[in-house]
Amino acid sequence: MPLVGRKDAEAFEVLYDRHGGAAYSLAYRIVGDRAAAEEVSQEAFISVWRSGARFDAARGSVRSWLLSVVRNRAIDFLRSKAGKAPKLDFDDEAVLEQRPATERTEEEALRRETAGEVRGAIGNLPGEQAKVIELAYFGGFSHSEIAQMLQLPMGTVKGRMRLGLEKIRGELAEGLA
Amino acid sequence: MNGSDHNQWSEDLAAYMLGALTPDEVAEFERHLEGCERCQGEVRWFEPALQSLPESVERQEPPPRLRAALLAEVRADAKAQAGRRPSLLPDWLRERFGTRGLRMATGFAVVALAVAVVAGYQIANDGSDEGGGASTLVTREHGIAVKMVRDGDGGTLHLANLHQLPPDKVLEAWVRREGTVEAVPALLVPDRKGQAETTIADMSGVDTVMVTEEPQGGSETPTGDAIVTMSVPQ
Repeated sequence: MPLVGRKDAEAFEVLYDRHGGAAYSLAYRIVGDRAAAEEVSQEAFISVWRSGARFDAARGSVRSWLLSVVRNRAIDFLRSKAGKAPKLDFDDEAVLEQRPATERTEEEALRRETAGEVRGAIGNLPGEQAKVIELAYFGGFSHSEIAQMLQLPMGTVKGRMRLGLEKIRGELAEGLA
Repeated sequence: MNGSDHNQWSEDLAAYMLGALTPDEVAEFERHLEGCERCQGEVRWFEPALQSLPESVERQEPPPRLRAALLAEVRADAKAQAGRRPSLLPDWLRERFGTRGLRMATGFAVVALAVAVVAGYQIANDGSDEGGGASTLVTREHGIAVKMVRDGDGGTLHLANLHQLPPDKVLEAWVRREGTVEAVPALLVPDRKGQAETTIADMSGVDTVMVTEEPQGGSETPTGDAIVTMSVPQ
């Protein structure tokens, strides 16, 4: 990674070959569209290329840093897209446009939520815990937005987030034991 | 703070890690986090769980054109950078102060050495020691090959692959010894092959060697950007 920070194109090539697949997969999982995932991935890698010198190895691996950049870019993409012209998977968009903003957000959330299959760590969680983690991490929704769309108290949403992460962490620990 | 009060922060912690707090809530939580070892420990403990989330998505194959487009862009960028006048100023320092601002600072030597120290650590691991009476440090920075041969108390600094300088410019070497910057008396004049060398009579106590571009005749303190900076192991 220091080589990428020093603008070494060959080092960047290695970085892409190692992590490009994971980055693109994450982008696709969040935005649910191949062209958009490509755009988000490209932006994220160029951002890393330009700011590689700021990477701090003490704060985590290159992969986790890169994937967090991808996630942030993808969430920004979703938010800007929703702000300009929300894409909805229904025929009567005109009617939907007249719905309250919270309902439109819910439709968007459902679209995002079903964009990909929940697997691995999240797949083993109870449904209600997986759902709030999915909506927060892959959907970019705040706890209050999630509480509103699921009609739950905010404390319940935050509690489920915590229980879900605890369970994932526990399983990871068991896997290492 | 008692345990009951702390429950509020514990409740927010997972939402914070998942990016589900509002900016104001994030700021408030981070103020608390800074002074709370318990929460800091929990953040560390949860971190692997958070990192597993992006790894859990179904794998997709990126289109080959993504790789091609990215590599084309970074190669063009790297080539453009190499074509510019070499400088070891880190991007963040350049962005924050600008080259002119750095040059206008009253403490030229202090600023130049701040740059030298930052960049010097980048190349410290590139050094090699040939053993015996002489030791050699080699590195390459911005396409310039640098070799520092130490022999006894003194040393010789060799540079290769140098660009031709404008007629009103010379290269000048500097050493830092016990916190003080000293000019190396003999200026560096690249030959037709782009090579130059200068002798440093006394290397004792020198921890950094640097080369800058200076006006004809040289300067008493560094005024140009460092084109070479080398850390010298003690």
